[in-house]
Amino acid sequence: MSLASLTRPWAAMSYGFLDASARREIRRKLIKAVAVPGCQMPYASREVPMARGWGTGGLQATLTLVTPESVVKVIDQGADDSVNAASIRKFVTRVSGCAATWDTAAATLIQSRHRIPEERLRADQVLILQVPDPEPLRRVEPNISAARQMHADADYGRLWLTLYEQIVRKGRIMQGASYPSLVNGRHVITPSPIPRWDVPKLNMARHLTILSAGREKRIYAVPPHTRVEPLVFSDRPYQVEAHRGLTCARSGLGGFFMNEIPQADGGRIHEVSDSNLGIKAIRIAEGEDETIAETWYRNGEMQP
Amino acid sequence: MAYVATRGGEQAIEQAERLFRADLAPFDRSRVDEIRRAMPYLIDRIMGEASLYDPDLAALALAQTGGELYEATLLLRAWRTTQPRIAIAQPVLQDELLVQRRISAAFKDIPGGQILGPTLDYAHRILDTAVLEGAAHAPPPVDPAPRPAPQRQPSLADWERTEGLVASPAHSPVAPDDIPDLTRDPLLIPAPRAHRLQALARAETGGVLALGYSAMRGYGSAHPTVNELRLAEAEIRVAHPDGTVFSCGRARVSQAEVAAKGGDQIELGFAATFGWNEVKVIAAATLDLNSDGAAPGSATEEEFYLYHTESVEASGFCIHFKMPHYVTFQSALDAMRGASGEPAGEGADHKIGASL
Repeated sequence: MSLASLTRPWAAMSYGFLDASARREIRRKLIKAVAVPGCQMPYASREVPMARGWGTGGLQATLTLVTPESVVKVIDQGADDSVNAASIRKFVTRVSGCAATWDTAAATLIQSRHRIPEERLRADQVLILQVPDPEPLRRVEPNISAARQMHADADYGRLWLTLYEQIVRKGRIMQGASYPSLVNGRHVITPSPIPRWDVPKLNMARHLTILSAGREKRIYAVPPHTRVEPLVFSDRPYQVEAHRGLTCARSGLGGFFMNEIPQADGGRIHEVSDSNLGIKAIRIAEGEDETIAETWYRNGEMQP
Repeated sequence: MAYVATRGGEQAIEQAERLFRADLAPFDRSRVDEIRRAMPYLIDRIMGEASLYDPDLAALALAQTGGELYEATLLLRAWRTTQPRIAIAQPVLQDELLVQRRISAAFKDIPGGQILGPTLDYAHRILDTAVLEGAAHAPPPVDPAPRPAPQRQPSLADWERTEGLVASPAHSPVAPDDIPDLTRDPLLIPAPRAHRLQALARAETGGVLALGYSAMRGYGSAHPTVNELRLAEAEIRVAHPDGTVFSCGRARVSQAEVAAKGGDQIELGFAATFGWNEVKVIAAATLDLNSDGAAPGSATEEEFYLYHTESVEASGFCIHFKMPHYVTFQSALDAMRGASGEPAGEGADHKIGASL
């Protein structure tokens, strides 16, 4: 027996890029994150071959969960062909040998920046959201040690106060994306910056959502069948973006979250933000064999 | 959908990268060797910021990025991620360093002597434009000193300790495997001292300088005096599984100790890093010196300077603003346009929202 016979052949990097100690740490932190829904778990967050702030947190979660059998979808702003989504998809398939898809229904792992697909995710799918800033209290308490203490005490009074002040000053809650939401009745999270339109999709969902911030080194999760409640006042209902009545100028789809495209004549058109949903609709209109899975919203109404 | 073509996707990023690389032209090992030979201080700087001591890889990173320092550091850090940690070296003790430069501003002379070593401190900063006209840049050779300086130098702080000028910190021995490792644990605040010094060792030189300089100008409470500054080579000694301790090579290191008067004793700030980088260690030691009792949110507060001098995180986040943000912008536009929004989840079973 020789030493060489006991070791694997040298390779420039481990399967899935991350070395075994990094994957083990992230797996452990993922389990903790699922066990305490919405609680931010610190992790070491290794450097990966892309710049911080470009999805390195989501990427580390994806690289930890990916197997050769995985089918991975990567979107940025709802689009599969967006340049950074293309870059991440290329890297994940290159280091893991997994398959890639644009089809939400066909994916087992979905890494996303700023959107949740419009087709309802199933129990066998995992959504990984890239998070630039995991701390919902940052605006009211920039000091992370103090913010951690506030989470421990469930002390969210100053967050409520900012929402109240917005109503007093502007007549409505002015929070755009990353609407602060209470998970499982205990921890307030910032649901990455997904639009308000997408937050109800997290509530009592069938799928697991992992939120991972690489630069800030925090991982948190919304397990399946977990309450996710945006912070609202009982006489001021939660408002999603007013996209219910908009129609996509390319696909004809209506009742989904839209991108607004300014026009040279001063007007605007809209395009459905979930780009592959739009592609499916166009294919169906052209008589191709294509199906749109069940969607969370129907005619602009969130379905139970 | 037509906007596939306008946004470009996979083809566009491929060609954009090719364009960058085409500007640098193809290169081979000789360019890497020349960078390593010609720019040791640049190599030192990025090895420190990458916390990876390998001059060849550092020179390769510079060649591959055309000297874009943030990109070069990220390349090295990402390479580091793929490497296993196979051993933990023995502690490097100050009086065992192979010293090439060692000065103190606190005393006229010190045990072991002031050793200027290689420095531009007293050079007149004049460009040698004759080189551009074809002349060689050939400085006169160094005259050897009649008496060579000793390779190893005692620690000035040790002398100060025996004089009772400096408090002796409580020494708590730690098993090598239990030393907190910033590359394997998240940085939490208050940071263990090991984490603080590790974070400063790999901090971005310019960032440390900016915050350290603000402390020196008066935004910090303590005025630093350079107690001892060293440029040296450290033997990296590791233990073989059979117990034999051997040197697996030498690394260039810098370290600075800066002093300020405390109550009845001298307070010391300390920093060390891979490579020779005097500005960084003096600025970093000044931040360390000013940390205790710093006002929350000030540049000398540990959380503030450790988070904001992290090269890869800061530069990455800065350039991420180039990425599309139109979904969040759309959401903000909607809020701005006022009360036209609609309640979500009007289904009777889907009332959503945690309310007071």
